[in-house]
Amino acid sequence: MQKTRPFHRRKIVVIFLGCALALVLLGIRLAHLMIAESEHYATLAEDLHERERSIKAARGRILDRGGNVLADNRTVCTVSVIHSQIEDPERVIETLSRELELPEETVRKRVEKVSSIERVRQNVDKETGDRIRNCNLAGVKVDEDYRRYYPFGSMASKVLGFTGGDNQGIIGLEVEYEEELSGTPGKILTLTDARGVELADTGESREEPVPGNDLVISLDYNIQKYAEQAAYQVMEQKQADSVSILIMNPKNGEIYAMTNVPEFDLNDPYTLLPQYMPEGTAQSAAGSTLRGEALQDALNRMWRNGCINDTYEPGSTFKIITASAGLEAGVVTPQDSFSCPGYRMVEDRRIRCHKVGGHGTETFAQGIQNSCNPVFIEVGLRLGIDRYFAYFDQFGLNEKTGIDLPGEAATIMHKKENVGQVELATISFGQSFQITPVQLAATVSSIVNGGTRVTPHFGVSVRANDGALLKLYQYDDGRRILSEETSEQMRGLLEQVVDGGSGKNAYIEGYRIGGKTATSETLPRSANKYISSFIGFAPADDPQVLGLCIINNPQGVYYGGTIAAPVIRGMFENILPYLGIRKEGDQP
Amino acid sequence: MRTKQGKPDGFLLAAVLFLTVFGMVVLYSMSAYNGRVRFGDSAYYFKKQLFALALGLAAMYGVSCMDYHVLQKLSVPAYLLSLVLSGAVLLFGDAYNGSRRWLSIGPLSFQPAEYAKPAVILLLAGFVSRVDRKKSGRMIAAVMLMVLPIVGLVGTNNLSTAVIILGIAVLMIFISNPRYLPFLWIVLAGSGFLGIFLSLEAYRLERLAIWRNPELYEKGFQTVQGLYAIGSGGLFGRGLGNSLQKLGFVPEAQNDMIFSVICEELGLFGALLLMLLFLLLIWRFMVIATHAPDLFGSLIAAGIMGHIAIQVILNVAVVTNTIPNTGITLPFVSYGGTSVLFLLSEMGLALSVSRYSRT
Repeated sequence: MQKTRPFHRRKIVVIFLGCALALVLLGIRLAHLMIAESEHYATLAEDLHERERSIKAARGRILDRGGNVLADNRTVCTVSVIHSQIEDPERVIETLSRELELPEETVRKRVEKVSSIERVRQNVDKETGDRIRNCNLAGVKVDEDYRRYYPFGSMASKVLGFTGGDNQGIIGLEVEYEEELSGTPGKILTLTDARGVELADTGESREEPVPGNDLVISLDYNIQKYAEQAAYQVMEQKQADSVSILIMNPKNGEIYAMTNVPEFDLNDPYTLLPQYMPEGTAQSAAGSTLRGEALQDALNRMWRNGCINDTYEPGSTFKIITASAGLEAGVVTPQDSFSCPGYRMVEDRRIRCHKVGGHGTETFAQGIQNSCNPVFIEVGLRLGIDRYFAYFDQFGLNEKTGIDLPGEAATIMHKKENVGQVELATISFGQSFQITPVQLAATVSSIVNGGTRVTPHFGVSVRANDGALLKLYQYDDGRRILSEETSEQMRGLLEQVVDGGSGKNAYIEGYRIGGKTATSETLPRSANKYISSFIGFAPADDPQVLGLCIINNPQGVYYGGTIAAPVIRGMFENILPYLGIRKEGDQP
Repeated sequence: MRTKQGKPDGFLLAAVLFLTVFGMVVLYSMSAYNGRVRFGDSAYYFKKQLFALALGLAAMYGVSCMDYHVLQKLSVPAYLLSLVLSGAVLLFGDAYNGSRRWLSIGPLSFQPAEYAKPAVILLLAGFVSRVDRKKSGRMIAAVMLMVLPIVGLVGTNNLSTAVIILGIAVLMIFISNPRYLPFLWIVLAGSGFLGIFLSLEAYRLERLAIWRNPELYEKGFQTVQGLYAIGSGGLFGRGLGNSLQKLGFVPEAQNDMIFSVICEELGLFGALLLMLLFLLLIWRFMVIATHAPDLFGSLIAAGIMGHIAIQVILNVAVVTNTIPNTGITLPFVSYGGTSVLFLLSEMGLALSVSRYSRT
């Protein structure tokens, strides 16, 4: 028998060392995988093991200034199927298509799809969800979540906006304050084995949803309701296309009411109102004859907030701006005398006054009362293009108001270099350019409130669900656009308009009300369509509320002073006492 | 012949016993899910393995008490038996997962390939220790010719085991020959053949592509799931029994990929400790081999060292995707009755050798 020799032993040691080296290298490789790449693989593994069902967060409510809930949540259910756990597919398909009122093929497609979890239907009534749950079908999950609900239906629909299937804001304040309202959705995480069977002993891990915060807005339920009633009433009386009413606080820009009738039902925003059917479409079955893009266009028209998304020619209400600029620049005083022959020649153009015979000799104050075009043409021309545009800028008319609603339209104004004397003359009495109603209301507010620019807005504060204050919104207010004196002069001049001028239909016994009427013809002029409007504020010496009413395409009499001023009078008659503003002479 | 007869190596025995107990605990943890799902019995695999373990421990005790020199005469018949069994399995074997690897005798089934490993170790140890040293040049060729039949038979349906057998043979010839250079040529030639072998068929190259980017291929599933398990472990693991990957994600978690789930449950520390334990085991084989009184005993211990080392290294390398995937079990831990029976018999052999030593 041979003995081992030294080289045998040496080679055995060599092999051992080789193996040891290999094991050490593998150990290093392993350490690399388990430390450096651990996170990478662990995350991938987790995705593999976890089945995730999301739980919608309750969206924050929207409250009016009095605490009325304008947008709330309702419990609804989401029905899903888990392919690997279904035991009796036919029964599942039959039950779900019956309870959810879905076509059988739709349900079958969901049930037979090999996926970890498949959503069959969302926003199912709680009762239906409970019924399905009580059927105890293996592989069918009914999760509760929330759906937006608007207790007052169509109230302030274009302001509040509505939400989509995932509770995300689609239009209005729901979009603007999405971040505050939406909250954070939660998750139900379950661990499963490779067959998709949930592991019993690991249980469900829930990440609770964080509900959104409540938004308190400046809107006042009562004023809004009254504004909508008044708007519907005048729309019906005058068979107008639409009526907008905006009520705001001229001192701080808070909006109390904003309506553009017809309003739509926030709980059913995808049903087209007959008023919004495009002309020439059968009105009988609203919405049913429209498809695809045409339907979407019509819906978008219905959802538009005319006060901020659309511009119009303001007409005579804009004379407030021309007068303020003229007084501020010192080119005119209320006592200045003017003469109106019924027209005014600018270059070679004869621009007519609305009163064919002319107003004769009148002071500037009387010119405002009469809404006399030649007077304002004269003031505009005295200012000149440069100064007029400087004031236009100074008053903030070239910028957006910054209102907290999406889609605010910008002012459509002539380019300065294209403006000649004729254009300047038309601008002076509010024609040939367009602004939004909210821009007009905000600018007039700023003129009569003592001369400081306000930002019109709804958002007041954000509160936790228990009412605790989380955030108080501050607005960029206070920029002086007009001297205190001119502002006071303007208040007095505009009070005279209501006291005995073109705005006398807005007069209320015992209240000091200022205002200005307007009647403008829409483009093309040949269509003979008019926009009648009135902007008023009260009390005239210390304005606390400002109202703007715009009537689109009224039939019959279309003068703003005749049809729009009474609407604001009706509003003021009710809301001045409501806001605690006493009549003159009333003892506190 | 000056030999000293003594007690078997206590260190080796302790390490082997510890490994078997550890292996059984881990195996139960890894196989409980598959056992429950397939056979309705969490302990299904555990019980079968326990039976093989009991047989194996008895065999280990028996062999360790023998004088290993007796086996020198039996080495050739034992090898012939392995050829017969490996041939029989090709004709009468049971297929499982598509491979004919099992011979059934009544309720028992047996994997001849596992038996072939110790048979080759004995054959080569017996042959080399008898051959005249001066003819060592021709010996390399002779040994290769001797193992070729078994490599061919086993390789027809179990390529990995054939590679292991070939590896053991190369290591044992390496020890028996004082030169180094020829072995470098053998290794280089082997690599060259492997390269040609792989590039001949597109599907073999695909295996390499899967190795580079296992995520991109369906066949890389097992590798990817193993990596997920390893990555999920981190430093200290999820804790024994808490693996998620064994729940059907890693296919056959109790078999080849068991090391990945050990990483998941016991973390980097547990995995490194297990590797250290194997290193200790290999170290003891080296000590026994270098202290053996004669070349036969030394080669037996060295062959066993080679066997364990090759399987551990290749298994860990496959699981960590260091080399392309091939089915190699982890000794003492992976499920497999025949494997544990013959591994423990080999341990008995090593213990038997350890009882004798040079003075």
